[in-house]
Amino acid sequence: MELLIILGVAAVLVLFLISQYNKLIRLNVAVDEAWAQIEVQLKRRSDLIPNLVETVKGYAAHESATFEKVVQARAAATSATAVPDVAAADGMLTQALRGLLAVAENYPDLKASANFLSLQEELATTENKVSFARQFYNDNVRALNVAIKTIPSSFFVGFAKVTEREFYEVEDPQERNAPKVQF
Amino acid sequence: MWLVAFAAVSYFGGSGAVVLPIAVGFALITTWWSYYSSDKLVIRMTGAQVLQESENPKLFGLVQEVCLASGLPMPKVAVVIDDAPNAFATGRNPEHALIAFTTGILDVMDRDELQGVVAHEMAHVANRDTLVSAVAATTAGAIAILSDMLMRMMWFGGRRDREGGSNPLLLVISLVVMLMAPIAAMLLKAAISRKRESLADATAVDFTRNPTGLRKALEILARDSTVVQQRSNAVAHIWIESPLDGKSVSRLFATHPPIEERIATLRRLEGNI
Repeated sequence: MELLIILGVAAVLVLFLISQYNKLIRLNVAVDEAWAQIEVQLKRRSDLIPNLVETVKGYAAHESATFEKVVQARAAATSATAVPDVAAADGMLTQALRGLLAVAENYPDLKASANFLSLQEELATTENKVSFARQFYNDNVRALNVAIKTIPSSFFVGFAKVTEREFYEVEDPQERNAPKVQF
Repeated sequence: MWLVAFAAVSYFGGSGAVVLPIAVGFALITTWWSYYSSDKLVIRMTGAQVLQESENPKLFGLVQEVCLASGLPMPKVAVVIDDAPNAFATGRNPEHALIAFTTGILDVMDRDELQGVVAHEMAHVANRDTLVSAVAATTAGAIAILSDMLMRMMWFGGRRDREGGSNPLLLVISLVVMLMAPIAAMLLKAAISRKRESLADATAVDFTRNPTGLRKALEILARDSTVVQQRSNAVAHIWIESPLDGKSVSRLFATHPPIEERIATLRRLEGNI
């Protein structure tokens, strides 16, 4: 009888250890997957840009400063790898694209072109996808970081070899500051 | 509910012990089948047509957005050719999910509103509401079948088994219980459906963090008085807005909470975010 009890307790303990270990690994993998999703969406947006710039150029060739900004931001975004760099480049590109779309507003012919409309819709959905992928990533990072810091899973951090991950925080100047008015 | 059913059964002693498993088994098999093939079944019942991405890239973009926000796999997307704005989700698990929209809803709603609707439907998928309603339907079905069987037994075979002089009061009580049980089961089913609708609204906001879109969408649905043409009772609970005429269905039996209440809840959420 005693042997059975000891065996039972041991079995429960082993199951508990396994579940805690697996929980950390699962959370860590979820963060990796969410990050991969962000990269996929950023890549897709980046692929859209040359086409968009060409289309706008066809109607508004002299707005070269705006195009330059977008091209530069795109180049910065493609070369970034670490989480904060990617986030910063992403924020810059979002802003540059907003500038481009604002320019397009001044050209009724451009706004009416079917090509531009479909590109605009594609860009809108990609921007949403980027921000949802970011939100999903941050949710996963939060779950992992909480598990790493709280008992009992915190005891297994060294064993599972997981570390706290960085949040994806986009600096969006347009959301922080009031827009500057220029005359 | 089960206690009530069991009480009715135990009154009949031995014979009830046979009836119960039969009733439950029968309800289980029929509902399990409709749950397992829910996507195909509902497509047939509503006349929905499954879309390819090239046919409506905008709608697919919206669904992909919500998939990214929720981490769910991409469902099948379908349209129902119907002017009434409405939408539904079905499928036995997220891997076999199907969400459908009427052509009416695609025409009247803008991007944000549609996103709210897509999120609501994907919330049903995430919360596994097809399973929940299948379990509710099994329970309700088993009780209905059970009470039906017991009624027949009472009229025909029942009396022979017992010694004479059975209590007439008990007989009346058991009769009442048998009559009430299916009604109670239907109430339960409707109550569960209403709860799941509210939950889906909340989950949708969790996905998009944008209660305004869904609230505006519900306001459009509330203003719209056209109803889905083939309004079968059997599939009423799966639509985002109840396809049945609100006045003819009493509140207790309604599969959806009043749309004004849902709008008010979303408004409160907008205040908090």
